[in-house]
Amino acid sequence: MSEIGNVLANISISCFAFSYLLTLLLEVSRLFFQVPVRWVLIQVITAAGLIAHAIYIGLDISSSLQADATPLASWHAWCVLAALAVALFYFVLAIRRPKNNIGVFLIPVVLVLVLAAALVKDSATFTTDGAISLWEFIHIGSLLAGTVAVAIGCAVGVMYLVQSSRLKKKLPPRTGLKLPSLEWLERNNRRCLFVSTILLAQGLFAGVVMNIIRQVPFEQGVTISSGVLFLWLVAVTLFEYLYKPARQGRKVAYLTLAHFVFLAVVLGYVIFAQHGSGVAS
Amino acid sequence: MTFQVLGCHHHDSTVEFREQLTFTAEQAHTILSQLQQTHPDMETVLLSTCNRVEIYMAAEEQDLCPPQDAMIQLLADFHNLQPADIADQFQLREDKDAVRHLFATAASLDSMVVGEAQILSQVKDAYELATQGGFTGSVTHTAFQAAMRVAKRVATETTINQRRVSIPSIAVADFANRFFENFADKNVLVIGAGEMGEETLRYLIDQQATQIHIVNRDLARAQNLVERTQGEARPWEELDQLLVDADLVVSTTSADDPIVTVERFQAIAHQRHQRTLLVLDLAVPRDFEAAVGEFVGVYLYCIDDLDEVCQRNKDARSQQWPHANEIIDEESGLFMAELAHRSTGPWIQRLQDQAQQLKSDELERLLNKLGENANETVREELDIAFDRLINKLLHPPLESLRNGAHDADHRGLVDALKKLFRLKE
Repeated sequence: MSEIGNVLANISISCFAFSYLLTLLLEVSRLFFQVPVRWVLIQVITAAGLIAHAIYIGLDISSSLQADATPLASWHAWCVLAALAVALFYFVLAIRRPKNNIGVFLIPVVLVLVLAAALVKDSATFTTDGAISLWEFIHIGSLLAGTVAVAIGCAVGVMYLVQSSRLKKKLPPRTGLKLPSLEWLERNNRRCLFVSTILLAQGLFAGVVMNIIRQVPFEQGVTISSGVLFLWLVAVTLFEYLYKPARQGRKVAYLTLAHFVFLAVVLGYVIFAQHGSGVAS
Repeated sequence: MTFQVLGCHHHDSTVEFREQLTFTAEQAHTILSQLQQTHPDMETVLLSTCNRVEIYMAAEEQDLCPPQDAMIQLLADFHNLQPADIADQFQLREDKDAVRHLFATAASLDSMVVGEAQILSQVKDAYELATQGGFTGSVTHTAFQAAMRVAKRVATETTINQRRVSIPSIAVADFANRFFENFADKNVLVIGAGEMGEETLRYLIDQQATQIHIVNRDLARAQNLVERTQGEARPWEELDQLLVDADLVVSTTSADDPIVTVERFQAIAHQRHQRTLLVLDLAVPRDFEAAVGEFVGVYLYCIDDLDEVCQRNKDARSQQWPHANEIIDEESGLFMAELAHRSTGPWIQRLQDQAQQLKSDELERLLNKLGENANETVREELDIAFDRLINKLLHPPLESLRNGAHDADHRGLVDALKKLFRLKE
């Protein structure tokens, strides 16, 4: 293996976690003092983290293929992928809105997902019959995309509540946090809520179909937690439909936060119960 | 070379006075044409804004420009006024003062709202208009192009134009922009037809606001405001319904008591479904009861909240003022040196030509006298010696002239040179 190959092979979670941590520290420092080249530095460090992150996933896929295993078929890979998606979202948004301190809210979400990935690093891979079936793909993919949407929605929801509170308190502009407008936050909050509701519902539905097709008995804990999540999604949809104030302002932010809490509880359970890897009860 | 500006400004004249002297683009062209006919060797630019009326003039010699009295007469005649009524309000600035004034004006240091960006485009427009009419020349080209460069330098090297200092501009740019991404699809409600409301409305229109309703107790005043700006005048009785539909309210009435009380807003709040409502209450006394700001989704700002930011921005700008002034001083000094250099160049050339002529005559006379006694080597040596003599004689006065380009008495030096060496035009 070449020297570059050796270096790349040594890329670990801590490499990109460190980059994101550095990004967070620099983003936080923006609240207190101004340094001319800092924004560029933040983008360079984040880009380096994203590259390391992508290489890490690439190496994971490569080693899975070499071992004739299904790539990215573990909760560890699932969390790493979700973290990459949120980090990419932050990177694009930071370039589009350089004056806003979005990283203060989004990078912690990335770090939580990376931490979760580190905690389940040695988890067993998902049990598959070889190639991933269409329903498995929809189940895993939808839940992954839905989780990313909820995670982003949570960060945007917190931003909305902070911005709303600052505006209510009449804090002068140009001091402390610089956040996007309330309109932008509300619109994207609602978008995240809508997209995540559809994706999570689709993921749950695909999971049910998959189990029926494979005639696998439903895991009791997962069934209960998924059922609770499904009921919550139905409740959110009805609430939005019937109660007009829930479609705007702080109510949307509260809903996305509640969404996040529900999903975190359900995911916490299914990840640590090793759902899908054949070791859960 | 001379560079002058005759003008009246917001510093020392009232808006009513300036209004009488304002020039449209067409009128500016007419008066500059008149000046060109009477003073063909003079370059002119006319800058007419709501805060100033200024005529910039440049020529090779001062006497190629009309005297101040003649200019006042011309301006007064043009606007059917009495010269005596306007003479006191006009001020003439010359050379470095005039250049400094132009640079400070373009950089918005002389504006009513220091740092506002509009003045630079007004200076550009005035210069382009004069150029298209053929009223400008090398000095005005250099001066106005330098002014634009200096304005950019001030904008880049200081933060003087980054902070707004007028209540309406702060209301829109610093407050409303924290609520809305764009104003094109927002329902804007203006309550009252006062000056502050009008100015705020103009900023909102600049930000593409189109759905504007103006409501006033006197509908005719609302309609007048609509004619001056844009939107739709609505009767006072529709205020409640307009409040239900509004996203942004600008209130500037002169009512003694609050117009929108808690009870009144409570009655319509349920129809708004907690939709975000930004209220900019710019009236004194207030039009909205403070407790209206406690409703969910309502963000109420009064003039004190905006004034606080206004004051803070003014303080921040004043900290930048010395640096901006240093730039203006430095650039106007450099410009004057360049101008002086350009105006002395022909005289230096004339002096050198005269000296060369003298040398040739004397050398010829001497060589004729020496006849065949002077071989080629002697002739060459004599030529070199004469050149060295001329150079040594002219070096001190020319060096003084070049070094004195930055000094105020530079023109005196040129005059002295002309007299001492009897240099002809």
